[in-house]
Amino acid sequence: MNVKQLRYIAFALVAAAFCSCQKDPSTSDLHRDYLVYTACDSGTDFSAIDTYFLPDSILVIGNSNRTEYWKDEDALQIIDVVENGMNNAGYTRTDEKTSANVGLQLSYVRKATYFVGYDNPCWWWYYPYYWAPGYWGDWAGWHYPYSVYYAYTAGSLLVEMVNLDADQTGNKKLPVIWDSFIGGLLTPDAELNLQRTVEGVEQAFVQSPYLNK
Amino acid sequence: MKTSKYLKTIAFCTLLLAAALPGKAQVFPNTYINIDWQMGVPLGDDFADKASGWGMNFESGYFVTPAITVGPFISYQTNLQSIDRQTLDLGDGSSLTTNQKHALFQLPFGVTGRYNWLTDSVFQPYAGLKVGACYAEMSSYYYIVRQYTETWGFYLSPEVGVSIFPRPDYRLGFHVALYYSYATNSGDVLVYSVNNINNFGIRVGVSF
Repeated sequence: MNVKQLRYIAFALVAAAFCSCQKDPSTSDLHRDYLVYTACDSGTDFSAIDTYFLPDSILVIGNSNRTEYWKDEDALQIIDVVENGMNNAGYTRTDEKTSANVGLQLSYVRKATYFVGYDNPCWWWYYPYYWAPGYWGDWAGWHYPYSVYYAYTAGSLLVEMVNLDADQTGNKKLPVIWDSFIGGLLTPDAELNLQRTVEGVEQAFVQSPYLNK
Repeated sequence: MKTSKYLKTIAFCTLLLAAALPGKAQVFPNTYINIDWQMGVPLGDDFADKASGWGMNFESGYFVTPAITVGPFISYQTNLQSIDRQTLDLGDGSSLTTNQKHALFQLPFGVTGRYNWLTDSVFQPYAGLKVGACYAEMSSYYYIVRQYTETWGFYLSPEVGVSIFPRPDYRLGFHVALYYSYATNSGDVLVYSVNNINNFGIRVGVSF
Protein backbone atom coordinates (compact mmCIF):
# COMPACT_ATOMS: atom_id res chain seq x y z
CA MET A 1 0.00 0.00 0.00
CA ASN A 2 1.43 3.34 -0.98
CA VAL A 3 1.07 6.84 0.35
CA LYS A 4 -1.58 7.71 -2.21
CA GLN A 5 -3.78 4.84 -1.12
CA LEU A 6 -3.42 5.83 2.50
CA ARG A 7 -4.56 9.31 1.60
CA TYR A 8 -7.65 7.84 0.00
CA ILE A 9 -8.39 5.99 3.21
CA ALA A 10 -7.95 9.19 5.18
CA PHE A 11 -10.33 10.91 2.83
CA ALA A 12 -12.90 8.17 3.30
CA LEU A 13 -12.67 8.42 7.07
CA VAL A 14 -13.07 12.17 6.99
CA ALA A 15 -16.06 11.78 4.68
CA ALA A 16 -17.56 9.35 7.17
CA ALA A 17 -17.03 11.91 9.91
CA PHE A 18 -18.92 14.48 7.91
CA CYS A 19 -22.07 12.42 7.72
CA SER A 20 -22.12 10.59 11.03
CA CYS A 21 -21.40 12.98 13.88
CA GLN A 22 -24.64 12.47 15.74
CA LYS A 23 -26.75 9.51 14.78
CA ASP A 24 -30.50 9.95 15.11
CA PRO A 25 -32.36 6.66 15.42
CA SER A 26 -34.88 5.64 12.83
CA THR A 27 -38.29 6.60 14.19
CA SER A 28 -40.39 4.97 11.49
CA ASP A 29 -41.18 1.93 13.61
CA LEU A 30 -42.33 4.12 16.49
CA HIS A 31 -45.52 4.65 14.51
CA ARG A 32 -46.32 0.95 14.62
CA ASP A 33 -47.75 1.43 18.07
CA TYR A 34 -50.05 3.88 19.81
CA LEU A 35 -49.29 6.30 22.63
CA VAL A 36 -51.42 7.05 25.67
CA TYR A 37 -50.72 10.02 27.90
CA THR A 38 -52.86 10.82 30.92
CA ALA A 39 -52.62 13.60 33.46
CA CYS A 40 -54.81 14.86 36.26
CA ASP A 41 -55.30 17.59 38.80
CA SER A 42 -53.72 16.19 41.95
CA GLY A 43 -55.95 18.49 44.00
CA THR A 44 -59.15 16.80 42.85
CA ASP A 45 -60.76 14.08 44.94
CA PHE A 46 -61.93 11.74 42.21
CA SER A 47 -63.62 9.45 44.72
CA ALA A 48 -66.06 12.24 45.51
CA ILE A 49 -67.43 12.23 41.97
CA ASP A 50 -70.78 10.52 41.57
CA THR A 51 -72.18 11.30 38.15
CA TYR A 52 -70.84 12.18 34.74
CA PHE A 53 -72.28 13.46 31.50
CA LEU A 54 -71.01 12.00 28.24
CA PRO A 55 -72.11 13.46 24.88
CA ASP A 56 -73.19 11.00 22.20
CA SER A 57 -70.74 12.24 19.60
CA ILE A 58 -67.07 13.03 19.11
CA LEU A 59 -65.99 16.45 17.98
CA VAL A 60 -63.78 16.37 14.90
CA ILE A 61 -60.90 18.79 14.55
CA GLY A 62 -60.07 19.13 10.90
CA ASN A 63 -59.95 21.83 8.33
CA SER A 64 -63.65 22.48 8.16
CA ASN A 65 -64.92 25.96 8.84
CA ARG A 66 -67.84 24.65 10.81
CA THR A 67 -68.30 22.36 13.75
CA GLU A 68 -68.13 18.68 12.82
CA TYR A 69 -69.20 15.75 14.94
CA TRP A 70 -68.39 12.10 14.48
CA LYS A 71 -71.51 10.04 15.18
CA ASP A 72 -71.29 6.77 13.25
CA GLU A 73 -70.98 3.26 14.69
CA ASP A 74 -67.25 3.58 15.17
CA ALA A 75 -67.71 6.77 17.17
CA LEU A 76 -70.38 5.14 19.28
CA GLN A 77 -68.07 2.17 19.94
CA ILE A 78 -65.39 4.54 21.22
CA ILE A 79 -67.91 6.37 23.39
CA ASP A 80 -69.07 3.01 24.77
CA VAL A 81 -65.51 2.20 25.81
CA VAL A 82 -65.29 5.52 27.65
CA GLU A 83 -68.62 4.82 29.32
CA ASN A 84 -67.46 1.35 30.37
CA GLY A 85 -64.28 2.82 31.80
CA MET A 86 -66.22 5.35 33.85
CA ASN A 87 -68.82 2.84 34.98
CA ASN A 88 -66.14 0.34 36.00
CA ALA A 89 -64.55 3.13 38.03
CA GLY A 90 -67.80 3.40 39.96
CA TYR A 91 -69.26 6.53 38.39
CA THR A 92 -72.82 6.84 37.10
CA ARG A 93 -73.75 8.26 33.73
CA THR A 94 -76.54 10.78 33.71
CA ASP A 95 -78.49 12.36 30.89
CA GLU A 96 -78.85 15.59 32.81
CA LYS A 97 -75.90 17.79 32.03
CA THR A 98 -76.81 20.30 34.72
CA SER A 99 -76.85 17.70 37.48
CA ALA A 100 -73.60 15.90 36.55
CA ASN A 101 -70.51 16.35 38.68
CA VAL A 102 -68.20 16.08 35.69
CA GLY A 103 -68.44 16.13 31.94
CA LEU A 104 -66.42 14.20 29.40
CA GLN A 105 -65.64 15.64 26.00
CA LEU A 106 -64.10 13.57 23.24
CA SER A 107 -62.26 15.15 20.33
CA TYR A 108 -60.61 13.50 17.37
CA VAL A 109 -57.83 15.40 15.64
CA ARG A 110 -58.13 14.64 11.96
CA LYS A 111 -55.99 17.23 10.21
CA ALA A 112 -54.37 19.55 12.68
CA THR A 113 -51.03 19.67 14.45
CA TYR A 114 -50.47 21.69 17.58
CA PHE A 115 -48.09 21.74 20.46
CA VAL A 116 -49.58 22.28 23.87
CA GLY A 117 -47.59 23.62 26.79
CA TYR A 118 -48.59 24.66 30.24
CA ASP A 119 -47.77 28.26 29.42
CA ASN A 120 -49.93 28.11 26.33
CA PRO A 121 -52.66 25.62 27.11
CA CYS A 122 -55.45 27.22 25.11
CA TRP A 123 -54.59 25.62 21.80
CA TRP A 124 -58.24 25.60 20.81
CA TRP A 125 -58.02 29.35 20.43
CA TYR A 126 -56.62 28.54 17.02
CA TYR A 127 -59.50 26.24 16.26
CA PRO A 128 -62.80 28.12 16.29
CA TYR A 129 -65.08 25.14 16.67
CA TYR A 130 -63.65 23.29 19.64
CA TRP A 131 -65.86 22.34 22.59
CA ALA A 132 -67.02 25.75 23.73
CA PRO A 133 -67.01 26.38 27.48
CA GLY A 134 -70.60 27.50 27.00
CA TYR A 135 -71.53 23.95 26.12
CA TRP A 136 -71.11 23.09 29.78
CA GLY A 137 -72.29 26.30 31.44
CA ASP A 138 -71.50 29.92 32.02
CA TRP A 139 -67.71 29.73 32.18
CA ALA A 140 -65.37 32.31 30.76
CA GLY A 141 -62.89 29.85 29.33
CA TRP A 142 -60.77 26.83 30.11
CA HIS A 143 -58.18 26.06 32.71
CA TYR A 144 -55.69 23.27 33.34
CA PRO A 145 -54.83 23.28 37.04
CA TYR A 146 -51.76 21.11 36.34
CA SER A 147 -48.81 21.00 33.97
CA VAL A 148 -49.52 19.90 30.43
CA TYR A 149 -46.83 19.33 27.82
CA TYR A 150 -47.53 17.31 24.74
CA ALA A 151 -48.17 17.52 21.04
CA TYR A 152 -51.27 16.89 19.02
CA THR A 153 -51.11 15.60 15.51
CA ALA A 154 -53.49 14.16 13.01
CA GLY A 155 -54.80 10.81 14.20
CA SER A 156 -55.20 11.65 17.87
CA LEU A 157 -58.07 11.26 20.31
CA LEU A 158 -58.50 13.52 23.32
CA VAL A 159 -60.67 12.63 26.25
CA GLU A 160 -61.05 15.43 28.76
CA MET A 161 -62.93 15.50 32.04
CA VAL A 162 -64.22 18.88 33.14
CA ASN A 163 -65.40 19.75 36.63
CA LEU A 164 -68.99 20.90 36.33
CA ASP A 165 -69.19 21.55 40.07
CA ALA A 166 -66.64 24.34 39.73
CA ASP A 167 -67.66 27.89 40.51
CA GLN A 168 -69.14 29.61 37.43
CA THR A 169 -69.64 33.03 38.88
CA GLY A 170 -67.44 35.98 38.11
CA ASN A 171 -66.08 34.81 34.77
CA LYS A 172 -64.39 31.75 36.28
CA LYS A 173 -62.70 29.27 33.98
CA LEU A 174 -63.87 25.71 33.64
CA PRO A 175 -61.17 23.38 35.06
CA VAL A 176 -60.08 20.29 33.13
CA ILE A 177 -59.33 17.85 35.93
CA TRP A 178 -58.28 14.81 33.87
CA ASP A 179 -57.20 14.42 30.32
CA SER A 180 -56.12 11.61 28.09
CA PHE A 181 -54.29 11.93 24.83
CA ILE A 182 -54.09 8.92 22.52
CA GLY A 183 -51.87 9.19 19.46
CA GLY A 184 -50.92 6.99 16.55
CA LEU A 185 -54.43 6.38 15.25
CA LEU A 186 -53.91 7.33 11.63
CA THR A 187 -52.75 4.23 9.80
CA PRO A 188 -54.13 3.42 6.34
CA ASP A 189 -56.18 0.63 7.93
CA ALA A 190 -59.42 2.02 9.40
CA GLU A 191 -60.09 -1.19 11.31
CA LEU A 192 -56.67 -1.06 12.91
CA ASN A 193 -57.22 2.59 13.81
CA LEU A 194 -60.44 1.72 15.59
CA GLN A 195 -58.81 -1.22 17.37
CA ARG A 196 -55.95 1.01 18.53
CA THR A 197 -58.39 3.67 19.67
CA VAL A 198 -60.38 1.21 21.74
CA GLU A 199 -57.21 -0.24 23.27
CA GLY A 200 -55.90 3.26 23.88
CA VAL A 201 -59.02 4.38 25.73
CA GLU A 202 -58.97 1.22 27.83
CA GLN A 203 -55.31 1.83 28.60
CA ALA A 204 -56.09 5.42 29.61
CA PHE A 205 -58.33 4.12 32.39
CA VAL A 206 -55.87 1.38 33.37
CA GLN A 207 -53.09 3.92 33.91
CA SER A 208 -55.39 6.29 35.83
CA PRO A 209 -56.18 4.23 38.94
CA TYR A 210 -57.20 7.37 40.85
CA LEU A 211 -60.39 7.38 38.73
CA ASN A 212 -62.15 5.26 41.30
CA LYS A 213 -65.30 5.82 43.27
CA MET B 1 -25.48 21.35 15.97
CA LYS B 2 -22.51 23.73 16.41
CA THR B 3 -20.14 21.07 17.66
CA SER B 4 -20.80 19.09 14.54
CA LYS B 5 -19.79 22.05 12.38
CA TYR B 6 -16.59 22.58 14.36
CA LEU B 7 -15.76 18.90 14.11
CA LYS B 8 -16.26 18.87 10.39
CA THR B 9 -14.11 21.96 10.00
CA ILE B 10 -11.30 20.37 12.00
CA ALA B 11 -11.55 17.15 10.00
CA PHE B 12 -11.58 19.02 6.71
CA CYS B 13 -8.52 21.10 7.61
CA THR B 14 -6.72 17.93 8.67
CA LEU B 15 -7.48 16.36 5.33
CA LEU B 16 -6.23 19.37 3.41
CA LEU B 17 -3.00 19.36 5.36
CA ALA B 18 -2.52 15.66 4.75
CA ALA B 19 -3.15 16.04 1.05
CA ALA B 20 -0.95 19.08 0.59
CA LEU B 21 2.27 17.79 2.06
CA PRO B 22 4.80 15.48 0.41
CA GLY B 23 4.56 11.84 1.34
CA LYS B 24 7.83 11.61 3.18
CA ALA B 25 7.10 14.43 5.59
CA GLN B 26 4.96 14.48 8.68
CA VAL B 27 2.09 16.95 8.62
CA PHE B 28 3.83 18.82 11.41
CA PRO B 29 7.37 18.10 12.60
CA ASN B 30 7.54 15.75 15.58
CA THR B 31 3.82 15.19 15.62
CA TYR B 32 1.31 12.52 14.75
CA ILE B 33 -2.33 12.80 13.70
CA ASN B 34 -4.88 10.01 13.99
CA ILE B 35 -8.30 9.77 12.39
CA ASP B 36 -10.19 6.74 13.64
CA TRP B 37 -13.47 5.02 13.25
CA GLN B 38 -14.69 4.12 16.71
CA MET B 39 -16.94 1.39 18.01
CA GLY B 40 -18.15 1.80 21.58
CA VAL B 41 -19.86 -0.58 23.99
CA PRO B 42 -21.64 0.98 27.00
CA LEU B 43 -20.98 -0.66 30.36
CA GLY B 44 -23.51 -0.72 33.18
CA ASP B 45 -25.86 1.64 31.38
CA ASP B 46 -29.46 0.73 30.75
CA PHE B 47 -30.34 3.92 28.90
CA ALA B 48 -28.75 3.08 25.56
CA ASP B 49 -26.89 -0.17 25.97
CA LYS B 50 -26.34 -1.34 22.41
CA ALA B 51 -22.83 -1.43 20.96
CA SER B 52 -22.48 1.04 18.15
CA GLY B 53 -20.09 1.93 15.39
CA TRP B 54 -21.43 5.46 15.12
CA GLY B 55 -18.28 7.10 16.38
CA MET B 56 -15.07 8.79 15.30
CA ASN B 57 -11.92 9.90 17.06
CA PHE B 58 -9.53 12.68 16.05
CA GLU B 59 -6.33 13.31 17.88
CA SER B 60 -2.88 14.70 17.52
CA GLY B 61 0.27 14.57 19.62
CA TYR B 62 3.62 16.28 19.84
CA PHE B 63 6.72 14.25 20.67
CA VAL B 64 7.97 16.04 23.77
CA THR B 65 10.52 13.24 24.07
CA PRO B 66 11.27 10.41 21.60
CA ALA B 67 8.78 8.27 23.52
CA ILE B 68 6.21 10.64 25.00
CA THR B 69 3.54 12.54 23.07
CA VAL B 70 1.02 15.09 24.28
CA GLY B 71 -1.75 16.69 22.26
CA PRO B 72 -5.46 17.41 21.82
CA PHE B 73 -8.25 14.99 21.01
CA ILE B 74 -11.95 15.07 20.23
CA SER B 75 -14.25 12.12 19.61
CA TYR B 76 -17.90 11.33 19.43
CA GLN B 77 -20.12 8.31 19.81
CA THR B 78 -23.83 7.56 19.60
CA ASN B 79 -25.39 4.49 21.19
CA LEU B 80 -29.01 3.52 20.65
CA GLN B 81 -31.59 1.28 22.23
CA SER B 82 -35.17 0.37 21.35
CA ILE B 83 -37.67 0.22 24.20
CA ASP B 84 -40.87 -1.74 23.77
CA ARG B 85 -44.17 -0.22 24.80
CA GLN B 86 -44.39 0.33 28.52
CA THR B 87 -46.24 2.57 30.95
CA LEU B 88 -44.14 5.21 32.68
CA ASP B 89 -45.26 6.90 35.89
CA LEU B 90 -44.25 10.52 35.36
CA GLY B 91 -45.39 11.64 38.81
CA ASP B 92 -48.23 13.89 39.98
CA GLY B 93 -50.75 11.54 38.43
CA SER B 94 -49.29 11.68 34.93
CA SER B 95 -48.55 8.49 33.02
CA LEU B 96 -47.27 7.75 29.55
CA THR B 97 -47.64 4.51 27.63
CA THR B 98 -45.43 4.36 24.57
CA ASN B 99 -42.57 2.64 22.82
CA GLN B 100 -39.32 4.56 22.55
CA LYS B 101 -35.90 4.86 20.97
CA HIS B 102 -33.12 5.99 23.26
CA ALA B 103 -29.97 7.69 22.03
CA LEU B 104 -26.89 8.55 24.05
CA PHE B 105 -24.52 10.92 22.27
CA GLN B 106 -21.10 11.55 23.78
CA LEU B 107 -18.59 14.17 22.69
CA PRO B 108 -15.45 14.10 24.84
CA PHE B 109 -12.49 16.37 24.13
CA GLY B 110 -9.34 17.39 25.94
CA VAL B 111 -5.71 16.33 26.19
CA THR B 112 -4.20 12.97 25.33
CA GLY B 113 -0.82 11.67 26.39
CA ARG B 114 1.00 8.57 25.22
CA TYR B 115 4.08 6.56 25.98
CA ASN B 116 5.33 5.00 22.75
CA TRP B 117 7.66 2.06 22.23
CA LEU B 118 9.66 1.01 19.17
CA THR B 119 9.14 4.34 17.40
CA ASP B 120 11.47 3.36 14.54
CA SER B 121 9.77 0.08 13.71
CA VAL B 122 6.75 -0.92 11.63
CA PHE B 123 4.67 -1.76 14.71
CA GLN B 124 4.78 0.99 17.30
CA PRO B 125 2.78 0.10 20.43
CA TYR B 126 1.78 2.64 23.00
CA ALA B 127 -0.20 3.19 26.19
CA GLY B 128 -2.09 6.42 26.61
CA LEU B 129 -4.49 8.40 28.71
CA LYS B 130 -7.10 10.93 27.64
CA VAL B 131 -8.35 13.56 30.08
CA GLY B 132 -10.88 16.27 29.44
CA ALA B 133 -14.52 17.27 29.39
CA CYS B 134 -17.44 15.29 28.03
CA TYR B 135 -20.63 16.68 26.55
CA ALA B 136 -23.39 14.07 26.53
CA GLU B 137 -26.94 14.24 25.26
CA MET B 138 -29.53 11.70 26.39
CA SER B 139 -32.57 11.55 24.16
CA SER B 140 -35.82 9.64 24.17
CA TYR B 141 -37.70 9.52 20.90
CA TYR B 142 -41.37 8.60 21.08
CA TYR B 143 -44.42 9.38 18.98
CA ILE B 144 -43.39 12.63 17.24
CA VAL B 145 -41.47 13.86 20.26
CA ARG B 146 -37.78 13.98 21.10
CA GLN B 147 -37.22 14.63 24.80
CA TYR B 148 -33.61 15.14 25.80
CA THR B 149 -31.22 16.50 28.37
CA GLU B 150 -27.75 17.94 27.88
CA THR B 151 -25.01 17.20 30.39
CA TRP B 152 -21.35 17.96 30.99
CA GLY B 153 -18.86 15.89 32.91
CA PHE B 154 -15.22 15.07 33.52
CA TYR B 155 -13.72 12.53 31.14
CA LEU B 156 -10.96 9.96 31.67
CA SER B 157 -9.95 7.28 29.19
CA PRO B 158 -6.97 4.90 29.31
CA GLU B 159 -6.02 3.36 26.00
CA VAL B 160 -3.58 0.87 24.52
CA GLY B 161 -2.88 0.56 20.84
CA VAL B 162 -0.43 0.19 18.05
CA SER B 163 0.44 2.40 15.13
CA ILE B 164 1.48 0.46 12.05
CA PHE B 165 3.71 2.17 9.53
CA PRO B 166 4.56 -0.03 6.54
CA ARG B 167 7.42 2.35 5.86
CA PRO B 168 8.34 4.11 9.09
CA ASP B 169 10.28 6.83 7.30
CA TYR B 170 7.06 7.99 5.60
CA ARG B 171 5.02 7.98 8.80
CA LEU B 172 1.79 7.20 7.04
CA GLY B 173 0.05 4.11 8.30
CA PHE B 174 -2.71 2.53 10.33
CA HIS B 175 -3.81 2.73 13.89
CA VAL B 176 -5.61 0.23 16.11
CA ALA B 177 -6.52 0.80 19.76
CA LEU B 178 -8.55 -0.54 22.65
CA TYR B 179 -9.95 1.96 25.11
CA TYR B 180 -12.01 2.30 28.23
CA SER B 181 -13.69 5.59 29.10
CA TYR B 182 -15.35 7.02 32.16
CA ALA B 183 -17.30 10.26 32.29
CA THR B 184 -19.08 11.82 35.24
CA ASN B 185 -22.11 12.98 33.25
CA SER B 186 -25.44 12.56 34.98
CA GLY B 187 -28.92 13.40 33.80
CA ASP B 188 -32.57 12.41 33.70
CA VAL B 189 -34.96 11.87 30.81
CA LEU B 190 -38.55 10.89 31.54
CA VAL B 191 -38.16 8.28 34.30
CA TYR B 192 -34.65 7.27 33.28
CA SER B 193 -31.50 8.38 35.05
CA VAL B 194 -27.91 8.19 33.88
CA ASN B 195 -25.19 8.44 36.51
CA ASN B 196 -21.71 8.29 35.00
CA ILE B 197 -21.00 6.91 31.56
CA ASN B 198 -18.66 3.95 31.06
CA ASN B 199 -17.63 2.51 27.73
CA PHE B 200 -15.08 0.30 26.19
CA GLY B 201 -14.37 0.00 22.53
CA ILE B 202 -11.97 -0.15 19.66
CA ARG B 203 -10.60 2.44 17.28
CA VAL B 204 -9.32 1.70 13.82
CA GLY B 205 -8.02 4.34 11.50
CA VAL B 206 -5.10 6.02 9.84
CA SER B 207 -2.08 7.68 11.38
CA PHE B 208 0.27 10.19 9.85
